[in-house]
Amino acid sequence: MNASELAVTIVPDSGVSSPAVPALEARGLVREYGSVVAVAGIDLALQRGEFLTVFGPNGAGKSSLLGMLAGSLRPTRGEVLLNGATLDFGSVDLRRHIGVLSHQGFLYAQLTVEENLRFYGRLYGLRDLDRRVPERLSHVRLAERASSLVGQLSHGMRQRLALARSLLHDPDVVLLDEPYTGLDPSAAAILRAVLTEVRDGHRSVVMVTHNLREGLALASRVAVQVRGRFAWQGKGDEVDTSDFERLYHRVVEGGP
Amino acid sequence: MIEYLGQVRAIVWKDLLLEARTRERVVAMGAFAVLTGVLFNYSIDRTVVRPQDIGAGLIWMTIVFGGLLGVGRTFHLEAQDGALQGVLMSPAPKDAVFLAKVLSNFVLLYIVSLMIVAVFMLFFGLELGSSAASLGLVLALGVLGFVALATLFAAVSAGTRMGETLLPILIFPLLIPMIVYGAGATSRLLAGRPGTEVADNIRMLAAFALTAVAAGAVLFRFVVED
Repeated sequence: MNASELAVTIVPDSGVSSPAVPALEARGLVREYGSVVAVAGIDLALQRGEFLTVFGPNGAGKSSLLGMLAGSLRPTRGEVLLNGATLDFGSVDLRRHIGVLSHQGFLYAQLTVEENLRFYGRLYGLRDLDRRVPERLSHVRLAERASSLVGQLSHGMRQRLALARSLLHDPDVVLLDEPYTGLDPSAAAILRAVLTEVRDGHRSVVMVTHNLREGLALASRVAVQVRGRFAWQGKGDEVDTSDFERLYHRVVEGGP
Repeated sequence: MIEYLGQVRAIVWKDLLLEARTRERVVAMGAFAVLTGVLFNYSIDRTVVRPQDIGAGLIWMTIVFGGLLGVGRTFHLEAQDGALQGVLMSPAPKDAVFLAKVLSNFVLLYIVSLMIVAVFMLFFGLELGSSAASLGLVLALGVLGFVALATLFAAVSAGTRMGETLLPILIFPLLIPMIVYGAGATSRLLAGRPGTEVADNIRMLAAFALTAVAAGAVLFRFVVED
């Protein structure tokens, strides 16, 4: 079976029978950089509690897709909806519903762990920071480093702090861009444990990663993006993890 | 509105705290001011030129060049670890981000500009007399207009390869009104004229500053948005 057949036979269904409005929806998303088409028309609908992992080779347009879902990158065509409301590119209110963890942490090295979270908390207009900040730090196992400068933390700790920052305002939708990049196995295991808690049935999560093992471990839905399109989609519990690498390479080599 | 002010305050607090810890920009601007004062001191033949005749112009040029050193780096600390992107992806409106950056830059450069005046008074033997308050106001309005433009164009140039070279080229032509009215007012005040004589200059500087802040607040989103 080739990649095109797979794209037809494995239905990109959410598996949720409820007609509820998707927490996150993309309709015909296209992003072009001059003559280069990074995202060539992607539709997706994610219900609350679903965890979509998007795999794909370098240059497949995964980060561009995530940027558009986050509202930080203007689509050339198409639209993104959050809980049924169109995410206007300039909208600030809808940003309260989105949390983003990139391979960059968006952190200030010369501020302490706690100061970073308090700063972002104030930007989100949060008023209960005295309660919320220690809670989030405990959640990511960083409570004892609250007064450390971020510049003194290991990469794994920074990544966990960045996750705490992205979850500080309790977003409905969490977008993760290569969260495992540069982490050693021990740090990756801690991050996986924290992300498992993020998959709490209430949030919708989209994770972009090259790491097949980590990506499949958490996913309720899986997609492989090639040349700006979802060339293959499936349900997480139906994916044969032992055979997925072979399938992935076949899809990537076959193209959309 | 309360949340808006809270967002502005949060960014100003963060910028000033970062500067207090790194002292990166104030030290650079301060050192530039002192060294410039020393060099000008030796470059002028006092038997030909009276220091008070050219002091005002030198003060304003030092503020502009020194200010570019500091304000031009406004977005450098933000660029580390993509922090600016994190701020721009937050619910803080883009104009709130801009106003906060202008305010924090204003605080830093105003302190440095007072230091520049002190340095030139020391080396050039200038006297303020009773016009210290008027000069403080002239400096405040001029610096506010300058940091508004410099912050906007620092954002423009931060995304380019030749950023630090590009910034002066972009901003200098726009600073002509500030230099004309700021140096003119400073010159008269240093010559011992009363503050009422520079009222028109102060009004023009205020108009320049307000226009620069308002234009920057409107245009900033187009600069930082993809």
